[in-house]
Amino acid sequence: MAGSHSDPLAHPEVQQGGALRYIAGFISTVLLMGAALIVTMRHDLAYQSFVELVGGLAFLALLSQAALFYGLDISRAQIWKSVSLILTVPLFIITVGLTVWMFQSLDQRTMVMPSSAAAATQPTLLQ
Amino acid sequence: MQLQAPGPWSLLFGRLTLDQIPYTNPILQVTFAVAALIGLAVIGVVLYYKKVGYLWREWLTTVDHKKIGVMYIIVGLVMLFRGFADGLLIRTQQVLANGPHAAGFLGAQHGFLPPFHFDQVYSAHGTIMILFAATPILTGFQNIVVPLQIGARDMAFPYMNAVSLWLTTAAAALVMISLFVGDFSQAGWVGLIPLTELPFSPGTGVDYWMWAIQISSVGTTLNAINMIVTIVDMRAPGMTWFRMPVFSWTTLSTNIIGLTAFPVLGVALALLGADRYLGTHFFTAGMGGNLMLYTNLFWIWGHPEVYFLILPTFGVLSEVIPTFSEKPIFGYVTMVAATFAIAGISWLVWLHHFFTMGSGPDINGFFSVATMLVGIPTGVKVFNWMFTLYRGRITYTVPMLWAMFGLFLLLIGGLTGMMLALPAINYTVHDSVFVIAHFHCMVLMVVCAGFAGVTYWFPKLFGFKLDESWGKAFFWTFAIGTITVFTAMFALGFEGETRRLEWTFNTAWKPMLVIEEVGMVLYVISLALFAMMLVVSIKNRNRERLGADPWGTSRTLEWLTPTPIPFYNFAVTPQVNTRDELAWRRKHELANAKPDAYEEIHMPSNSGLPVILGACAGIFGFAMIWRIWWLAALGLLGIVAIVIFRSFDKNAGYHLQPNEVEAMERNLAIGSITSEQPDRSHHSIHAEAH
Repeated sequence: MAGSHSDPLAHPEVQQGGALRYIAGFISTVLLMGAALIVTMRHDLAYQSFVELVGGLAFLALLSQAALFYGLDISRAQIWKSVSLILTVPLFIITVGLTVWMFQSLDQRTMVMPSSAAAATQPTLLQ
Repeated sequence: MQLQAPGPWSLLFGRLTLDQIPYTNPILQVTFAVAALIGLAVIGVVLYYKKVGYLWREWLTTVDHKKIGVMYIIVGLVMLFRGFADGLLIRTQQVLANGPHAAGFLGAQHGFLPPFHFDQVYSAHGTIMILFAATPILTGFQNIVVPLQIGARDMAFPYMNAVSLWLTTAAAALVMISLFVGDFSQAGWVGLIPLTELPFSPGTGVDYWMWAIQISSVGTTLNAINMIVTIVDMRAPGMTWFRMPVFSWTTLSTNIIGLTAFPVLGVALALLGADRYLGTHFFTAGMGGNLMLYTNLFWIWGHPEVYFLILPTFGVLSEVIPTFSEKPIFGYVTMVAATFAIAGISWLVWLHHFFTMGSGPDINGFFSVATMLVGIPTGVKVFNWMFTLYRGRITYTVPMLWAMFGLFLLLIGGLTGMMLALPAINYTVHDSVFVIAHFHCMVLMVVCAGFAGVTYWFPKLFGFKLDESWGKAFFWTFAIGTITVFTAMFALGFEGETRRLEWTFNTAWKPMLVIEEVGMVLYVISLALFAMMLVVSIKNRNRERLGADPWGTSRTLEWLTPTPIPFYNFAVTPQVNTRDELAWRRKHELANAKPDAYEEIHMPSNSGLPVILGACAGIFGFAMIWRIWWLAALGLLGIVAIVIFRSFDKNAGYHLQPNEVEAMERNLAIGSITSEQPDRSHHSIHAEAH
């Protein structure tokens, strides 16, 4: 939050930006998310490996955006944004965690399939 | 990979054909005639009084937080009227279409609305009331009041503030256009899955619903960022965290919710859009999709959204009640703590919207307990308001009446909410109109706080009060109407009436349906009284010139400015000495103190880009709905071009010199209005360009 109120170009965040950085961020994000899309559409990985790989690619995409687009670090100019991002982690754990818990219970209680039918379908994200 | 939608498609007009305009429907004919007449009247007045330039210069291109706030409220009130008309249609249909022998009119088997039309009406009613009426009205208040309450000249990002407004307006326009071009979603405001998928809703109704919400949610998210940064970074010297008025605190917590929750909605709708446009299977029953995931994602946003509406409402009550009790708010620190406790718990309760989905008892138990926990901080708030009233010098002005009735509705809505938090009860009354009556008590509390806020802050903005007699007549008719409609609705819920019924098959429900309709008539009368209140007040506006504090007992910083508020807010940035600064200054006879010297004021320049950007977003949304790809590309290109153009704009605003400020303040003292910026188009001596 440090910086001049009247001159946008004087903000440290603005000064930190650069064409090379943005292009690198854009290309890396597109590549990582494109890879995740291809992996999802090919259906040729075991479920466990699939979730790990797609999760890993998503995390890398997040990292590349945080580092290359936003230049997040612990400098005085950026600490507000870095802390804000970290503060969303508990929220992420609550929403995703409770969702996983709910779907596990739901899966056992409402989505029981005969073994032949189950074998014919592809695994869903939480199976 | 694009999924083919059924029906004709052409390169030039996409799915849009003349058949999509329902000009044979008599209800829509009348609606179109009324809307066209009102539109022509507004345009006629603007042209007759030669106000086109003024409208563009002072309003459409403004970046002033107060004017943006007023426009948010106007958009919200227009949509509130539209949503109310939908509610009236729903109630009238249900009372007319009661029992197997109910007569049918206008092509309907029972009542006057066929199912195809009725389903659109209730879907539009919910979507409009929550996202396009309550949200803009509350956002409007936050825009107007928060910068003033914290002693700032404007929002942190004035240009982005205007962008947020025009995105919301574009989305509201899409909902209105769906009345006359195509149709609206039939899948409820929540987007019942899999009904929203293309095979089940092949028309453009779901697309209208989806794109309107998507565009407005971008506006709301941008506004949330703006509000948070404004409160964190723009407070006046001395305005420490615990000197901040409760309304500003509730705004901060509300917008933290908004910033974290709205992206979830955006993602849910984007995935639904991928299903509808690209043929993916995120929410389908097979092919690896999971339709329950949509419901889950929707309510991960949906429940925090409830508090997104309720918390600012609590903030309004926390301003109105102390002012008209002539006491500081009781338990300020606990009030702030309770606000953030509610915001925190709001993330832990979403599953109570689908207890009946089939989760196990431990999961339902967890969310049940979490839901009941909300009652604790809310109870703290209610007791704090009660203790503020206790031994206060209470004046029953119109805003105070609205606030008191809001408290009453909070009690009824809160207690029935506690009932619904129990899965056993929830299973019994799930999807019955008991649930509808419960959440209408809560959202009507938002409406009450809305009217409390309008009548409370109106004189500050416009320099004259709204007429008290007409205001009280409006209040009492509305309050009695509310009690009449929703007492009967609670009873109907116990009698087993389920929600969204186009035909109410049980004749035993008739008496209560008639009582509900009587309540609706009272609502219609109250609307007429509201209009009278506005007309009489505007007519008599010059009878009484109001000072900085029209109520005489206000407590916070916004009442320190002259009335109406000049465009620069404060001639000199105020030094805050305590909580309830104005009450403190009044006590120490400093309320009318003038500064020794004036300073240079930096102001942002108006810009026409946000309104053009909003129009491009509207065009993009309309084109995506009708699958007119070239137009969608054009709309998107327009948005990108504006963003790039803006980033090269070197205009960083202008400076008002101390002598100019002094002159304007002197004019204010003799009754001149300086709520309009001086025209600087011909002399840019102080305009800053670099």
